[in-house]
Amino acid sequence: MSEQLAAAAAALGLPEALVQRSAEARAAETGASADDILAQWAGGEAAPPPPAAEASPADTAEEETAPAGEVPEERDEPAEPEVVIEEPGPPAQTPKPAPVGPYKPPVLIGARDNPMALLAGVVGLFVIVVMVGLVGPSIPTEVPGARSSEIAFSEAALHGRVVYAEAGCASCHTQMVRPVVADVGLGPVTLTDTNQILGTRRFGPDLTHIGARMTGAQIEAVVSGLGDHPPHSLGTDEMSALVAYLSESTTSSDGDQ
Amino acid sequence: MADTQTADIRTLLGGGSTEDRLAISHFLVGAAFLLIGGGLQLLSLVSLRFGYLFPLSYGRVEPAANLTLMIGFAAISLVGGIYYVLPRLTGTHLAGTRLGGLGLLGMSGLTTLGVLAIFAGLGDGSQPLGLPWWLDVPMAAVLFAPALVTIRTIRQRTEERSFVTLWFVLGGVVWLPLLYVAHLVTHLPGASAVAVAFAETFFSAGFVTMFLVTVGSGLVYYTIVKESDVPLASRQLALVGFWSLGFAGAWWGAAQLLFGPGPGWVAGVAAALGLAWPIGAIANAANISMTLEGSWTGLGEKPGVLSGVLGLYLTVGVAVVAALAGFRSVGSVTSLTPFWEAVEYVSLTGVGTLLVSSVAFGGLPRMAGRQLETTQRARRFQRLTVGGSVGLLMSMGAAGILSGYSWVAGSNSAAYVDAGEGWAAGLGNTHDTLILIALVFGIVLFAGLGGYASIVLGTVARGKSIAQEMLVDKEVSSE
Repeated sequence: MSEQLAAAAAALGLPEALVQRSAEARAAETGASADDILAQWAGGEAAPPPPAAEASPADTAEEETAPAGEVPEERDEPAEPEVVIEEPGPPAQTPKPAPVGPYKPPVLIGARDNPMALLAGVVGLFVIVVMVGLVGPSIPTEVPGARSSEIAFSEAALHGRVVYAEAGCASCHTQMVRPVVADVGLGPVTLTDTNQILGTRRFGPDLTHIGARMTGAQIEAVVSGLGDHPPHSLGTDEMSALVAYLSESTTSSDGDQ
Repeated sequence: MADTQTADIRTLLGGGSTEDRLAISHFLVGAAFLLIGGGLQLLSLVSLRFGYLFPLSYGRVEPAANLTLMIGFAAISLVGGIYYVLPRLTGTHLAGTRLGGLGLLGMSGLTTLGVLAIFAGLGDGSQPLGLPWWLDVPMAAVLFAPALVTIRTIRQRTEERSFVTLWFVLGGVVWLPLLYVAHLVTHLPGASAVAVAFAETFFSAGFVTMFLVTVGSGLVYYTIVKESDVPLASRQLALVGFWSLGFAGAWWGAAQLLFGPGPGWVAGVAAALGLAWPIGAIANAANISMTLEGSWTGLGEKPGVLSGVLGLYLTVGVAVVAALAGFRSVGSVTSLTPFWEAVEYVSLTGVGTLLVSSVAFGGLPRMAGRQLETTQRARRFQRLTVGGSVGLLMSMGAAGILSGYSWVAGSNSAAYVDAGEGWAAGLGNTHDTLILIALVFGIVLFAGLGGYASIVLGTVARGKSIAQEMLVDKEVSSE
């Protein structure tokens, strides 16, 4: 069998393992022995009929079809057949009849266009989307001077802001008071020049002005796991920095200036 | 293109062409990351509901889950799908299989390192991935690999005609690295807090619409037309779908920051342009529905086709929900709440898995020469995924709306003026119950994800031998 296998593989120009597996599959389907199949293939019957499902045209191919002879999209149809060394299609499916009548192209047919021209459109659209959706909103619009949300944090607090970010606090807490009914009572509205971490989810309380509501000791107790807050095991330096950041997040430092 | 080398791993990967082995490798790695990411997502839901009992905070688990699902699963799997269809649609070799392999290695390696870094406390806490700059920059570079392979392959095409899938594939695979580079603004020292917030939501939303749904829809077009053996109903409708998804871009992300410190015009623009997502999704779903007209019977016997249909319909549902929340009236209740978490969860795991499974179920048997294992398990996966996704979307969405209303009610009654709490105590229990229900649906969804991973692995490793598509050079075949 190994000689037949080698001969069949050589005749087909395919790996032996693949030919072996294919022969076994065909044998199981046809009832013949794998040796007979291999012998047939080794003897030059290397090109089995192309798959009916792909060789036969779509019955409803009315749109997007091209006249016979044009280059089709698929590479496994009669005009440019692939080497298919098995009977096509899963056995559970009803086999389709062999191709009869005039050739009709397969269904995966497109139009004559240039995808590289599309590439220019794709990049151009992205630039527009970035300019309008990312750059535009990031440009400060308020005239500085009247009021500011920028807080003059101490060095320790600035380190604490990094700890706040790295610990993922912004995944659950916002530092953003909006001019809507839902945020009434949370303190002065946050303006464009804020230097706090805004966040996009408010699973826990808003912390924009938390320093005005809680003492440093209370903040440390909550961060350590008091109440429903998940406990964070921060080092002493990190904890004190985080407490400094949150304590300095107060209305007293960002009110009318 | 026939390869005469028969190393064991190549036999396991189907023994076919180099391109197909590369694509199968992507599907296998993607399925493994889906299992890990799905588990992490489930843990994030647990930590959201039982945070005080959980050793890892939501802020750590959620970025790790996002990273695993977005890059590890969605990007790698969809790139695998791209490598499957490209040679078949362009009539040429995949240009740069070595680069494609390096891309796979880079994406999977950096994802793994990223998860470890986040859990070790080395992440920077930014949304949605939380990677430090020294992993984010290499990741951006690695994401250009699939784009380069795709562009080079299309440039060398021998087919003069383009099937619609090529647009979606080319657009999505180019937009992904560009989006990633744009989101690197979060690492710039001088970036304002507002710019960082918009960059984060821009990337989260853009990844879903401009990459996941765009590439996924394109691959579904290929799979459904190929598997059903019927021509596409409308090329023009596909065109509408493609450009709408690109145009929708990140607008539903900006809508999450309604009323925030950004300029006021953003709210109106986000609401109007955010409608482009449902328009694109509906165009694609309608196109496929018209394509399958008269072929609906027996759809269950074609798992790839059914997954594609379900994925496109679920996309419509999620897109409509997201677009509605972009309007100021709805956004005043839903913004900053679990409502958006629901949209992002279901987009990544529900929509993403269904769209990926469509091309995987259609392509793996052809590439590996193995029968899909099995149609019944595929149906179970589809039922669990759709059921879990819809349940999660509804329960978490309801929890979000309830939170928003409670904030309004709390402010009117001065209930939390001093406490600054997110929701009033009286409504807290209802909210928690809804999150608990979401957790149950999350378990159902995770079972579905596990089913997909099991089918992919089982098909490649144990599937019954069937016909295998072999890619051959035109010159060879004509000799």
